[in-house]
This record gives sequence, C-alpha cells and structure tokens, in this order.
Amino acid sequence: MIPGAWICLLSPLAGALAITLAGTRLSRRGAAYLSTLSCFVAFGGALASFAGSLGEKPHERHHLSTAWTWIQGGSYKSGLEVLVDPLSVMMMLIVSGVGALIVAYSIGYMDSDDEERRYFAYMSLFVFSMLLLVQGGNLILLLAGWGMVGLSSYLLIGFWHERPSAVAAAKKAFVMNAVGDATMALAFFLTIQKTGTLSFGALNALHGHSGWVVNLVALGLLGGAVAKSAQLPLQTWLPDAMEGPTPVSALIHAATMVTAGVYLIVRTHAAFELAPKVQDLAAGLGAATLLLAGLIALVQVDIKRVIAYSTMSQIGYMFLGAGLGAYANSMFHLMTHAFFKALLFMAAGIVIHALAGEQDMRRMGGMRALMPRTYWAFLVGALALVGVPPFAGFFSKDSILAAAMGHGWYGYILWIAGLVGAFLTGVYTFRMLFMVFWGEPSAFAREHFHTLKRDVPGLALEIPVVVLAVLSVIGGWLQFAPTWHPVATWLDTVAAPLVSPTNWQEAVSSVLAVVLGLAGIGLAWLLYAAPRRRPIPRTAFWQRTLEHKFYFDELYDTLFYVPSSFVARALGFVVERPLILGGSTELGTETREVGGLFARLQTGLLRTYALAIASSLAVLAIVFVAVKCRPF
Amino acid sequence: MLGPDVAWYLAVAGFLFGTGALGVLLRRNPLIVLLSLEIMLNGGNLALIGYSRHLGRGGGQIFALSVMAVAASEVVVGLGLVVALNRRRVPLDVDRLNSLRG
Repeated sequence: MIPGAWICLLSPLAGALAITLAGTRLSRRGAAYLSTLSCFVAFGGALASFAGSLGEKPHERHHLSTAWTWIQGGSYKSGLEVLVDPLSVMMMLIVSGVGALIVAYSIGYMDSDDEERRYFAYMSLFVFSMLLLVQGGNLILLLAGWGMVGLSSYLLIGFWHERPSAVAAAKKAFVMNAVGDATMALAFFLTIQKTGTLSFGALNALHGHSGWVVNLVALGLLGGAVAKSAQLPLQTWLPDAMEGPTPVSALIHAATMVTAGVYLIVRTHAAFELAPKVQDLAAGLGAATLLLAGLIALVQVDIKRVIAYSTMSQIGYMFLGAGLGAYANSMFHLMTHAFFKALLFMAAGIVIHALAGEQDMRRMGGMRALMPRTYWAFLVGALALVGVPPFAGFFSKDSILAAAMGHGWYGYILWIAGLVGAFLTGVYTFRMLFMVFWGEPSAFAREHFHTLKRDVPGLALEIPVVVLAVLSVIGGWLQFAPTWHPVATWLDTVAAPLVSPTNWQEAVSSVLAVVLGLAGIGLAWLLYAAPRRRPIPRTAFWQRTLEHKFYFDELYDTLFYVPSSFVARALGFVVERPLILGGSTELGTETREVGGLFARLQTGLLRTYALAIASSLAVLAIVFVAVKCRPF
Repeated sequence: MLGPDVAWYLAVAGFLFGTGALGVLLRRNPLIVLLSLEIMLNGGNLALIGYSRHLGRGGGQIFALSVMAVAASEVVVGLGLVVALNRRRVPLDVDRLNSLRG
C-alpha cells in the first residue's frame, strides 16, 4: 500500500524527467506513449493503495510514510512524506485515473503537432504536481504541490507560445494563482508561529487560539482555494485558460488544478470548522460563483468557454457543499464531475478538430448527422452535467443541495441559489448541445468537416471518450444518498460531515433540482431547437453585462493594472530618466573629458618626454642639494 | 694617490653627461640620440669610477661594469629599431615618430 502510493507519486515525475532528458533520442510518438504509460502506472499504484486500504479497519486507514527529513530549522521539522488515507487515496484514483485517460486522448489529439515531446513532459509534470498536492503528508508539501500545479498550468496554457493570447492567458492564470499562493503561505506562517509545526494535525492544535488567529488562517486557506478553483473573486483566469490545447483544458478542469481548492477545504476542514464565519463565506462564494458562471455561460459563443463556465459553476456547488460541512458529498461531486467534464471536453475537442480548429458555436450546427458517436458521448456528458437521473450528476449534486437545507435561513438562501443554478445549467448546457449538434449542418460545417484521421495504432481517440462516457453514466451509482452511501462511509474517518440531511430533504431537493434542470432543457429547446422557435428574449443591458463577464476583468484592470502602470510610468519620468539614466550618462561624459585632458600630455614626441625627465631630475637634484646644504 | 683630484674626474663626467643630455634633447636623428645616450652613460660611469678611486672601494667599478653590460644590450635594441625603421622607409626623425600621441 505504501509502495503503491510512492509509485503513484513518482511515476509521472519519472516520465517527465525521462522525456526531458532523452530529448530527440526519443521519438515523438515514443514520448507520448511514455507519458501515458507513466500515468497509467500511477493509476496502478493508486489502485494498489486503494486495495490495501480496503483491507483495513476504517480507523486504521491512516499511514504516513516519510522518505527523509526535508526541512529542519530549530524545533521546526518537515519530512518528505506521503499520506495514505481515504481522502488522499480517493484523490489519487481520480487524478491518476482521469489524468491517464486524458493523456492517452492527447496522443491522438496532439498527433503531428510541433513540440509534442515538450507537451507530454508537461502533462506528466502536471499529473505529478497534482499528485504531490493530494499526497503530501504535511502542509508545506501541499503548498509545494500547489505551486507546481500553478507552474505546470502556466506552461500548458501557454503551450502554443507563438500565440500572444495564449501567453497572456498563461500569465493571467499564473498571477491570479500567485495571489492565492501568497494568502496560503501567510496562513502557514501564522500556523507555524502559533503551533510550531505544519503537519495536518497543526490545524487541530489551533483550537485553543484566539478567534482572529483561527479566522486568519482559515481565510488564508480559503484565498488559496478560491484562486486555484477559480471561484469569486479570483475566477477571471479560468475562461482565458481555454487558450491551451483542449486536452489541457480537460486536465485542468477534470482531474487536476481546479479541484485542488475543494480538496484543500476538505483536507483542512479542522481549521474551517474552528472558523464558522469563514465556512459560511466559502459556501456563499460557491453559491455566488455558481450563479454568476451559469449566467455568463448563457451568452458565450465559444464552445470551450461554455464548458469552462460550467466548470466554475460546478466547482461552486462543491464549495457550497464543503463550506456547509458536507465533505463527502462535495468529494463525490468532484469525482463525478471529473468524469463528465473530461468527457465533455474530449467530445468538444473532437468536434473542434473535425471543424479545422473552429470553436465558435454560431458557425457549427447539425453535427449530429456528421458525427453521431460524438453526439451521443456529448449528450451523456450534458445529461450528467444537468443532473438528470440516472446519470452521474444527479446523485452527487442533489445531495449537496439537500445538505444546504439543514443550515438555517442562510442554508435556504444557498439552497435557492443552487436550485436556480440547476435551472441555468440545464439552459446553457443544452443551448450548447442544440447549437452544435442539432438542426441542419451549417454552411461552415459542411465546408470544413473532415473525418478524423488521428487514430494512433493501438489507441483510438475514442477509447478514453467511451470509458468516460460509461463512467459518467454509472459513476453516480456509487452513492444514493438515503440508502446507499459508501463514499460517505469511506471518507468518514478523515472528514466527518457536519450536516446529515433527512430523507425528505433529499427527496425534495432531488425532485426540485431534476424538475428545474429539465425545465432548463425545455427552455433551451424552445429557444434553440424547437421547430417553431421563440425569439430569444434579450435586454441590451444584460446582454452587455454578461458578455463582459460582469465586468470583472475591467474592474481588476481599473483597480490594479491602471494604477500600477501609472505609478511605473511616473517613476520612469521622475526617477529613472533624470536620476538613474541621466546620472550614468553624466558619469561617462565626465570621465571621457578628464581622460581627454590627460591624453594631451601624451605628445608622442620623444624629446618632450626626455626633457620632462631631465627637468624633473634637475629639479630633484636642486631640491636635494638645497636640503642637504642648509646653512645650519 | 696618483693623478688629479676627484673633482677633475667629476667635472669631466659632468661635462660628458651634459653633452649627452643636450644631444638627446636637441638632435633629431635617432642614431645620434642613441650615441648621445651612450655618452651620458659613460659620463655616469666615469663619476662612479672616480668616486670608487677616491673612496678606495671597488663597488663603484663593478657597478660601472654592469652599466656597460646594460648599455651594450640597450644599444643592440636601439640599433635594431633604427635598422627596422630604415627598412620600412620611415623617416629617421624622432619628431616625426609621434604615432603614440594621445
């Protein structure tokens, strides 16, 4: 079990290193296979850990394996250690399993792209970083993984570095994430100061401290979670991150990166439970994000951006659940979401490839006739996203909503937000589906459609899609809240839930969510697919607001970019040009002038030199004689 | 002690040194400049030897010998330069050899 965990952690790192070191000695296809293999080996390691944990009694499922002492200073000590407990094993399975499928899909997707080796090395590094994040046995390793996830996402979002927009998106993701990293690091500093350690137990040790310490630590952790998971108010990087290749988007949205915030809250729930106000804030941010993202997704025309906003919205549900203390429901939704979101991205990737890279949904249409299998896969993913039974989303999303009902009046507000979000999910998901797949094939689609010739020997583009489609159907059956809940039992020893919804709450939430989801689908059908379509109600103000994503980018521009660039420009004029630039120029000119003065002494005439020597000698001799023969 | 007083030797030495120095300062032909330099050195040598006799110690004479050795090597270098200048058809005039002017 412990060796399995280490294999799981180190195999993708080994893959990334091997591809990097082999350079051109490894063929492009070889790099792809090596990367995929390393991820599947990691999944094997995760399975071994899982099997080992299954064989133990629930309270024994906690193992800390230390390789060596990594950092030591004074009484502080941190080891390079992996933690194997139910939560980390679950995350290991999701990250390495879905990650491996996505890397396998990339073999076909990235075939014949330039610099494939670099791509696959980054992919392996990304999976490794995320595994480090979820397996790290103390907070500082978690932070190391956290930072490396940010780095790998930067590298992959900006993978097509000849496109300025991709570079800008990568930079934006990195900067937004750095804000979260900083708040998290500050929270850890405070933890070290107060408890002297950064083991996960340190958070329990915060118990006796004053309210503001606990609140600050929880706030710092929440800041990190919000940045990595693209929740309000640090959500602006996620849609831009669509500049990366589609499998990268799938990896970021499904297996790695954005789920890290949810994992963090569940892992450090001890700190959050000591600070109930921050917990409520997390739930509130989740609810606000899910509404906001759902609304923005209604007007997006880029297929990948719609899916990106749906991710933000679904992560909002997870934050909602984690903030309310429904940890197992949150993690369960994280798992099913990984399945159907990876599926949606991969299906969208196939459509985009078939249409020569076009991502604008307005130019698509009628793809159902052209690529029926992709249509079915996409339909499964969409139904799972909306939460229609018996698809996966139904089982996981509705438990979160039910949990909200047990939290007083605040809980009811969140509950209503979640239900509205379910309706919006139905509308935007099926708007996308209808626009892309239904109707007559558009002129653009007829002209540009070509069947994919990207199947690699031994591994077709479709195999990972099929696997994920099956998982999106059956993945939810793992848990049916009132009667059958292995996920909750599995996670119980790590994070016991704070709320336990009653059966009628589950029932009401499920029925309402499904009805609203179906109503959303119906509305989308009326507007986008019905034989006699209703005109789409538009208000100029709302249209503009949503298309500008509630002006968040503009707001941050005004708040941070404009003042700082103004200050920089002012400093350039006031300080740099006169003082630094002017000063150094002046120094150079002066030195030259003085040098010119002395150079005039050097006449090049032998006789002047001789005369100078002779006259100075004469002067010396006279002085010498005068001193020696002084008359006293 | 045989011969004239040390002052006479010093006077001759001073005369030789002055003649050489004037030659170095005033003449333009590098060959003559070298020649004048030799005269200056010989003036110095004569002073060394005169003092050596006057004080009855041999150190000055030995020093004069080493000055001669240095002078010989200096002449070799100097004449070599002059020959090289002549071969390259550079005018033999120290005032026109001023390419090292700053």
